[in-house]
Amino acid sequence: MSAKIAVLGLVIEEPSAPYRLTAKLRQRLASAEFVDSNVYSALSRLEREGLVRPVAVDAAQLAESEVRKPTSRSDPRRFEATPRGVRHFEDWLLASSSTPPLRDDLHMKIALCQPHNLPRLIDLVYGQELVCLGRVEELKRSFERVRAPDPSRWSGLSRVLVRDAELTFWDSRMTWLQGVRKSLEQMSRDFQGATRER
Amino acid sequence: MAPLLSLTGISKSYSRGRQYVRVLEDVSLEVDPGEFVAIWGGRGQGKTTLLKIAARLETPDSGAVRFDGIDMMGLSEARHARLMLERIGWVRRTGPRSELEMIDYVALPLLARHRRRRAYALAAQALERVGMEECADQRWESLSGGERVLLGIAHGIVRSPQLLLVDDPTANLDVVEREHVTGLLRSLADDEGISVLMAVPDAPASIKAHNIGSLGAGRLSFASKSPVPPRRPDTPGEDGDNVIRLRGRG
Repeated sequence: MSAKIAVLGLVIEEPSAPYRLTAKLRQRLASAEFVDSNVYSALSRLEREGLVRPVAVDAAQLAESEVRKPTSRSDPRRFEATPRGVRHFEDWLLASSSTPPLRDDLHMKIALCQPHNLPRLIDLVYGQELVCLGRVEELKRSFERVRAPDPSRWSGLSRVLVRDAELTFWDSRMTWLQGVRKSLEQMSRDFQGATRER
Repeated sequence: MAPLLSLTGISKSYSRGRQYVRVLEDVSLEVDPGEFVAIWGGRGQGKTTLLKIAARLETPDSGAVRFDGIDMMGLSEARHARLMLERIGWVRRTGPRSELEMIDYVALPLLARHRRRRAYALAAQALERVGMEECADQRWESLSGGERVLLGIAHGIVRSPQLLLVDDPTANLDVVEREHVTGLLRSLADDEGISVLMAVPDAPASIKAHNIGSLGAGRLSFASKSPVPPRRPDTPGEDGDNVIRLRGRG
């Protein structure tokens, strides 16, 4: 998912200033790990492509902003979506989603590990389990910082569903890692036993 | 703060057919007063075993269990039964297959210690606390999955326990019901100071706990221990959504 489409979606929800958009993006799509500069460059591109346009806060502020770099941190303008922007977003929303890439350093290490390295690999796998747990904890904390979403309303339900998507990702990775660790531990015990017998 | 419940160095193995399976390996866990701890782990990873050991309904191969400083393994059967009756609640997912109305079912554990009127008043309060007062005259068979869980919680809290043990309360619930049930458990900890130890098979069900532990391949791990926020004794839940009203919501 690109920052551009995420920013466009948020602007359609509610015309907002760049600083508000960065906060919303962090809150709503924490795991995507967008940084502030992603929002500013996305807004610049969206504005260039005619998908969003600035709404003046007041004439004096707007005049002042025009001498600054557009969509900088001090930009006082709010942005709203143009009709073309709304169409562009809906085209994206209704198109089928691409399959996420699956390319993991750990897969390669497991594939190429030799039995004498199993103890180290077990530690690496357990380290990854702690990473998963840490990400779940981060999501939990980010949700605790804001008012609990009400899942009986669409706005709340959509937040819960996106949060669940992220949690389910870490959940299934955790299940896989624990299964891997269990197998590696068994393999390591067998290998050590066989080595001792020799 | 001294933990209300502590499990130290717990190990437990089972034989499954010809295999000897070690489900818990040197597992340690503490639950503070008013803390909500979720144990998240896949099926067959030992979550229910851990809960049963916490309540001394199962004996570990090694390790110690202390509740409020009491060595659970050293208790006589009578003292253990009394502890389970008065201070530890277990949320069941199974209910009475009888003609009992739900108010009778929730009042039942109290009838040995209280007069009938008092027992029924407390049962009505527990039903109200979980937002199920309208189900007082219903029978178990007529309740939905979500309502049964809430009834189980009412049955678990009616004796005002210090510790509530909850095994997989969100199984077969939809997202809205799951959020309500876990929100209710969180509010029991935050608002009433009940410690909650809950086992769940997936991360989304664990997210409202103060602390989340992951149990798998014998190990229990915590990312870091978050402090329990100060208790809010007389304030309603954050947005009132802790009052559960599953009936008529859709």
